[in-house]
Amino acid sequence: MQFTVERLPDYAEVNGVGKLNMVAAPKLREVVADVVAHGSNHVVVNMAGTDFMDSSGLGALIGCLKLARQAGGDLRIANVQPQVQMVLELTSMHRVLTPYQSVEAAFSNG
Amino acid sequence: MAEIVARFSRRGPASEETLEAVHAALDELWTDAEFLSDLDRMAFTTAVIEASTNVIRHAQPDDGAELQLGVDVTVSAERLEARISEIGARHSDPAAEDAAMPEAGAENESGWGLALIQALVTTVTFEREGGSNVWVLRRNASNHSG
Repeated sequence: MQFTVERLPDYAEVNGVGKLNMVAAPKLREVVADVVAHGSNHVVVNMAGTDFMDSSGLGALIGCLKLARQAGGDLRIANVQPQVQMVLELTSMHRVLTPYQSVEAAFSNG
Repeated sequence: MAEIVARFSRRGPASEETLEAVHAALDELWTDAEFLSDLDRMAFTTAVIEASTNVIRHAQPDDGAELQLGVDVTVSAERLEARISEIGARHSDPAAEDAAMPEAGAENESGWGLALIQALVTTVTFEREGGSNVWVLRRNASNHSG
């Protein structure tokens, strides 16, 4: 899985392309930890290119959410694909990690 | 017996490389089973990857044995079945572990795997065969009319 980061004035966008499984999960944690350590505590994970997520990936997202909140910010997800939506709903984690329709919408309400 | 319309078998070291090979083989398999709904394919793929990941993370090799992961999948019009084998593993019974879905929140980073598998398939059973622990996952095809 490939991650890219774009720092914008109001948030940092982390773009993940591929499968968010046990191989990619530690990489996501590293990428978001680095983003938060460099001062961006508002993070949007753009999941348009994430066609698969398992419980390892979900665990990494939850860990990253915790990290952003501990830094006084938040982590939100956008452009969720059907398999990821299925995992979020089965675990009820869509109530905590609410999917946004677009990256821009994630922090549009502040 | 229902006719098997698609199948694959993979076996290799219990490693990330084998996991990714299994995932690629599953994606390839669905091109031979296009009659299945997207939900059946997504749910079954997720369950097989969850169980395979559990083998890689948690299975303990028997003394002197090399731990291997074996995945055998068969698809008929009525049912998807996966046999996921912990080859060379010490006897264990994941069914005895707590498989309750954790409460949704920002606190629970782990503990989702077994509960997710049970939510994704119709039945989960465990067998001991020779030197292997075998997970048997079955999902009834949702669009089968009878």
